Amino acid sequence: MHRLTVALLVAGAAVTAFRAFAQPPASSTAAARGQVSATSRQSGSLVEYDDDVQRTSVSGVDFTGEWAPRFYEDQPERVPGPELGDYLGIPINDAARMRADTWEASVQTLAEWQCRPHSADYIWRGPSPLRISKEVDPVSRQVIAWHAEWLRSVDRQIYMDGRPHPSGNAPHTWAGFSTGHWDGDVLTIRTTHLKEGYVRRNGLPRSDRATLTEHWMLHGDILTVATIVYDPVYLTEPFIRTTDYELDLHQWVPPYPCEVVEEVDRPKGRVPNIFPGLNTGVKEFGARCGIPEIATRGGAETMYPDFRSSIGNITAKCVAAQR
Amino acid sequence: MIARLLTFSAAAAILASAPVVAQRGQRGAQPPSSPRAMTPFDLTGYWISIVTEDWRWRMITPAKGDYASVPLNAAAQRAADAWDPAKDEAAGEQCRSYGAAAIMRVPGRLHITWDGDAALRIETEAGTQTRLFEFGPPSPSRSGDGTWQGRSVAQWETAGRTGMFGAGPPPKATGLKVITTHLRPGYLRRNGVPYSENAVLTEYYNVMPKEENGDTWLIITTVVQDPQYLTGRFITSTHFKKLPDGATWHPTPCRAS
Repeated sequence: MHRLTVALLVAGAAVTAFRAFAQPPASSTAAARGQVSATSRQSGSLVEYDDDVQRTSVSGVDFTGEWAPRFYEDQPERVPGPELGDYLGIPINDAARMRADTWEASVQTLAEWQCRPHSADYIWRGPSPLRISKEVDPVSRQVIAWHAEWLRSVDRQIYMDGRPHPSGNAPHTWAGFSTGHWDGDVLTIRTTHLKEGYVRRNGLPRSDRATLTEHWMLHGDILTVATIVYDPVYLTEPFIRTTDYELDLHQWVPPYPCEVVEEVDRPKGRVPNIFPGLNTGVKEFGARCGIPEIATRGGAETMYPDFRSSIGNITAKCVAAQR
Repeated sequence: MIARLLTFSAAAAILASAPVVAQRGQRGAQPPSSPRAMTPFDLTGYWISIVTEDWRWRMITPAKGDYASVPLNAAAQRAADAWDPAKDEAAGEQCRSYGAAAIMRVPGRLHITWDGDAALRIETEAGTQTRLFEFGPPSPSRSGDGTWQGRSVAQWETAGRTGMFGAGPPPKATGLKVITTHLRPGYLRRNGVPYSENAVLTEYYNVMPKEENGDTWLIITTVVQDPQYLTGRFITSTHFKKLPDGATWHPTPCRAS
């Protein structure tokens, strides 16, 4: 019996030694991996294993999970909602100002507007939990799409299989049409075919000609997403924001059925609005907080640090939490 | 008995093969590269903050008591309510809102350079501050006292690419992680929202691929933990656009309000 044990151990060691000897030189292993990586990048694969079940240096990380929004930035704007006439730090043009100045909040009570979801660009800043899942090809096991789903939005697909964007005549949607690719561990996404939306929930519009670039980054249990909106109709420069979410293993995005009800008794066909020049409400925010009108009216110059020299060192008169 | 022997033998064979796996991992190992040689993106150059978020807390001085969205405890709220910028100015503490935990949110330009092959230097236009990110242990000669910018230890992020058996290919850097301690007490916002000397700052630096219009963005995710004043992690992310040169570089001194 003792001899049998020794024989098996010797045999095991011999097999191991042979495997080690039979390994190709490091350089050829690396070359083989390089080929796999190149193929994988082309196909958009997330993770690959070689014959020895080891990870390669293929780009990409796994964003799957339940993500809780954190409101450590712009909380007054994002949770209770922005103030009328607060266009601070947004590179809007005069057409956008006109749209926002003539906007009346009760437009949201129209039957056609009540169930309108936040668009792909705005939803990141909205007060909604997020679920990210991946769609995997059952045969190749490659990630062919990511799905991002918020409480107050629609399921959004980000295609990773290299498909082209549709014709410019294709329908526009709230989620738009998104394709992604890896830049190292950063997922870069380009979105087209968006319906008209808004960049702030106080009437500042974003046109249906806008495109969106996103960069998703993972840092442990923190998801950071940069969104850059390009809008030839309402923006004079790209509009960038960065937003953070924390992984929440106990979160569950519930259903969000939306039912249209009669919220306001108004004549049929009336669309709430304010005629140009008549909206005195848009000046109240700046007056109450002691912020000059050249700042509250927004524009690209207001998002650059040097803008402070044109308004001087001022201290706000209002506290956000007192609203 | 035969089954036990086979199990034991199989386990022995696996254990015997373990060093081979390790050797396999070592075989492709290269001589250690300097942090500068490992850089996955170019952080150096001039960058300008684009203030599209928290405008009312960054571009102007917020009102006293305006600490919405910062997870402060009661002691921190009391401290913020007692903020007196004139007192700070008189005490020579006008740089309190320019410390490491806040400086990246202060509007302005950055100038990033390598300091040798193992440290990154960040100069800020706002407050004329200098941060040093050292890869590896901090220089022993540095004082143990807290400073506005503290001590920062940097490492390249590798996203844990070590493989199923810890013998995968050498990890490739994908981002920069920086942990800063030894801070002098300061303000998260100019209006006296405090952080203490016990605060620990964790930052993640990523440079985005160039946009179609030619813009290059630096994204910094900042996590402040402070057992003295915060009830949870204070997380923000800040974006900077790359500038072609330092033609507009104009450092300014700290000010208390």
